[in-house]
Amino acid sequence: MRSEKFASIQRTTIISMIIIISAAVLGFRLFQMQILNQTSYQDKATDNSIKSIEQIPLRGVFYDRNFKLLVNNVPAYTLRITPADYDKKLNSIIETILEVDSGYISNILDQYKNFSKYLPIKIKRGISFDAVAWIEENSLNLPGVDYVVEMHRGYPGGINGSHVFGYLKEISQKQLSKENEYYNQGDNIGNTGVEKTYEKQLRGTKGNKFVIVNSRRKVIDAFNNGSEDIPAVKGNDLILTIETNAQRVAEEEFKGKKGALVAIDPANGDILALVSAPEFDLNEFSYITSKDYLRSLYNDPGKPLFNRAITSIQSPGSTYKVLSAIAALDMGIITTSTTFFCSGGVTFGRFFKCHGVHGNVNVITAIEKSCNSFFYQLILKIGIDNWAKYSRLLGFDSITGIDIGEENAGLIPDEEYYKKRYGPEWPKSIMLSLSIGQGEVSVTPLQLAQYTVLIANKGKGYQPHLVKGFVDRKNNIIIDFVYTELDLGIDQKIFDIVKEGMFLVVNGKGTATHIRYGEYEISGKTGTSQNPHGADHALFIAFAPSDDPKIAIAVLVENVGFGGTHAAPIAKKVIEAYLNSLKKDTPIKNRSITKLENKNVD
Amino acid sequence: MWINELRIDYHLKDKFDFGLIFPVIILFIFGLTAIYSSTFSNAIAQGNFQKQLIWGIVAVIVFFITYSIPTNTFKQITIPSYFITIFLLIVVLLIGQRISGAKSWLAIGSFGFQPSEFAKLATILMLSKYLSRQNANIDSFKDLSFTLAIGFFPVILILFEPDMGTAFVFIAMILTLIFWKGISVFAMFVVLSPGFVAVSSLFGSYYFFGALLFVIAMLFVFRKDFFFSGSIFAFNLASGFFADYVFKALSTHQQKRIQAFIDPMSDPLGSGYNTIQAKVAIGSGGLFGKGFLEGNQTQLQFIPEQWTDFIYCVIGEEFGFVGAIITIGLFTFLFLRILKIASGSKDEFLSLLSIGILSVYFAHFIINIGMVVGIMPVIGLPLPFISYGGSSLVVNMIMLGILANIYRTRKNYA
Repeated sequence: MRSEKFASIQRTTIISMIIIISAAVLGFRLFQMQILNQTSYQDKATDNSIKSIEQIPLRGVFYDRNFKLLVNNVPAYTLRITPADYDKKLNSIIETILEVDSGYISNILDQYKNFSKYLPIKIKRGISFDAVAWIEENSLNLPGVDYVVEMHRGYPGGINGSHVFGYLKEISQKQLSKENEYYNQGDNIGNTGVEKTYEKQLRGTKGNKFVIVNSRRKVIDAFNNGSEDIPAVKGNDLILTIETNAQRVAEEEFKGKKGALVAIDPANGDILALVSAPEFDLNEFSYITSKDYLRSLYNDPGKPLFNRAITSIQSPGSTYKVLSAIAALDMGIITTSTTFFCSGGVTFGRFFKCHGVHGNVNVITAIEKSCNSFFYQLILKIGIDNWAKYSRLLGFDSITGIDIGEENAGLIPDEEYYKKRYGPEWPKSIMLSLSIGQGEVSVTPLQLAQYTVLIANKGKGYQPHLVKGFVDRKNNIIIDFVYTELDLGIDQKIFDIVKEGMFLVVNGKGTATHIRYGEYEISGKTGTSQNPHGADHALFIAFAPSDDPKIAIAVLVENVGFGGTHAAPIAKKVIEAYLNSLKKDTPIKNRSITKLENKNVD
Repeated sequence: MWINELRIDYHLKDKFDFGLIFPVIILFIFGLTAIYSSTFSNAIAQGNFQKQLIWGIVAVIVFFITYSIPTNTFKQITIPSYFITIFLLIVVLLIGQRISGAKSWLAIGSFGFQPSEFAKLATILMLSKYLSRQNANIDSFKDLSFTLAIGFFPVILILFEPDMGTAFVFIAMILTLIFWKGISVFAMFVVLSPGFVAVSSLFGSYYFFGALLFVIAMLFVFRKDFFFSGSIFAFNLASGFFADYVFKALSTHQQKRIQAFIDPMSDPLGSGYNTIQAKVAIGSGGLFGKGFLEGNQTQLQFIPEQWTDFIYCVIGEEFGFVGAIITIGLFTFLFLRILKIASGSKDEFLSLLSIGILSVYFAHFIINIGMVVGIMPVIGLPLPFISYGGSSLVVNMIMLGILANIYRTRKNYA
């Protein structure tokens, strides 16, 4: 039924009246605002407005495992320029005061030309007190120039930790477009290491201060005496697993060398020390990093920015013989009474040599003397795929899940790999190289350290990590993160056998007997990784004390030669530093421990 | 010679309503200018001008598609598009992205859109189809209930996001459609009164009792039978208590948002802050404005995300009273033109469709500008054709295409 009222003239008129009256009301309102009251609004626009100023919270600090302060916040003055108000003629005089090269300011202003010219740009952090005094005295003649007190990172712990702590960087435009809910132009964000992984824990909650500003954004007064202000909340303080003494000794030992060291507490997966050498100076990153320093880092052939401990992959050399031993014992191929004969080498297609004539050797002696002949013959019985299977079981060929950086998984070749490369008739002699840790097999120092933990702990371990937990300031308690526990499910007796071999490496007639005489009994295994590009890399894995391991360690020193000579003494010093401080430092008392899943790690 | 030219011109005019298109083109250009100005000194939003320009091209293409397809198509796609948008509104509640408080965005790869924008058009189509069927009687209880159910179902889903602004647009649209269909004054009263009572109850018990007294007075005026009047009163009473109950069941955070909505000055540094800054921007513009890129309120970014809902104050500040009035004039001209198409259409479905589209444009216009000049509460709604935003522009241009199509084919219906 079509109603006669449908779209009737009356209804059309009512709607057109609504439209016209509404437009008229808006028009009248605009007339009232823009014509009648224009001056009063004009005054408000030029005189003052309420503006909220963001308050950057203090960043959480880092403690070591014994609550020694490692990374904190230090105040510094930062000179800023607001381009809209600034006169470029001032460049040269400010550059003189700041003691920087001429062209420094215009260079930075150029970098920011796509940003708002009404927002201040940080020109130099950490300016001297004299420079601050000069700005204060001449403020009237320096339009658009001001300074603010800013916090930057300080490193009072006496250790570098360049690859552990990481550094902050001003947020890039690209990151800003993704994360604009928290960050603003000019904010710092963790760029590497723990600073990056735990950014959300560390950064805290921004506050807001409401102030009255004039049209040039100059602050006139606090709004409502600051009663509406929202204070910034400091970020959470992190408790690292690093043990400062062990870390310091490790860093000192690596001065002038290239390589990496990772030491782990077998009882929980805490990383006690992590060094990648050469290092770089984090203090250079706590202000705006100078281009010269960055260029020198990029051009350094030692690649200091590269974290060798988690990304450098090398052949594990003889340290990998222990893996074959574990595989053969677990598969039941050998027992301690099984012997192989070493006549100075083995012929398999060609002659594979050993570094001595060992006669009849069993598995313990083979590890002790690092007898190649034994392992050449052993891997032929194990088979390549079983060898690869045990490699993967012990954590190789996959990342360990450490809470910093981009880990490298390394490579464990298997039959499929060689078939792809050489066809179905691939040369089986390759396996002999693999058995002594040479050839395509490649691992990271971190994986080696984790492997040492698994041996020392008889098949048990934890996801290695650098952060123990954080301090919950609201409730004043320490909250520990919980990390994944690993259990290989291999009979503990098998580990007793290989551990005896490793004990004899240092304490018998093995390859690292020169580190024997000391306060603690150390078990270990030397290795030398053949390097086609230069001198061999020295490797050493160890744990101590031998009967109750408190520390497991892997050391890689690049281009120096034999592992026993060059890597083992470093391991010994770090072990001693750690075990000595264990005696002194009593663990923190009254720790109210709450466990929490670590959501910062992917 | 000139007679020939005139003839061709006449022919095009007959098929193409320039009165509909010209205001929109000018409004879009105003919008681009204002977007350019408000993002000029903002590092994050600097690409928005180019993005809006690209959306403009997309919008012109969809306009010509909707303009040229057979008018019957609108009727055919009605039911599927209504149910698809309902489905999308549910999906957005489950997996949508929360942007500035409301969970209203669906992301497909890097491309995001708001289903509620499309739901407006789909609901107009559905209501127009339902109301234009043979024997539809809007004053009957059954037809009125069905109409309200079709209209309010998406509103409930949108309130869950929560997107107050779009919910208001829907209410304006439903009321306009039933009014256009020819609802009696009494039935309109029955529809409006529970909402009136419910909103009043949120202001306190005095307002609530005042509203109830008003309802009683109106029931006496209409002189319906006692039982019927009584049940309407009971329904009103219940809706008042229900609103109060729902309000109390909300979390304190949600309650605060509703309070700030009723009284923006209760939150002077939140939504109130924007209103104050917007008023200062417009008021300080004066007769001719401060000039392009010269408005200090705009360039100093006193108003966050000014290129979206508060874009009208860029025009007000930089182009002054003249620019602001021309904008309102163009909108008014456009609205009256659409009203002419709606009343001129011989087909009931198309007439309802046109008036529905008009109501959506108008609701956006009045709520947005009313908010910016401080005579309406702060409700986030874009200004059609002017505010930055792809979904909104595309949907508005589809609706414009429908109107142009109805004008083109107006003689096909006897």
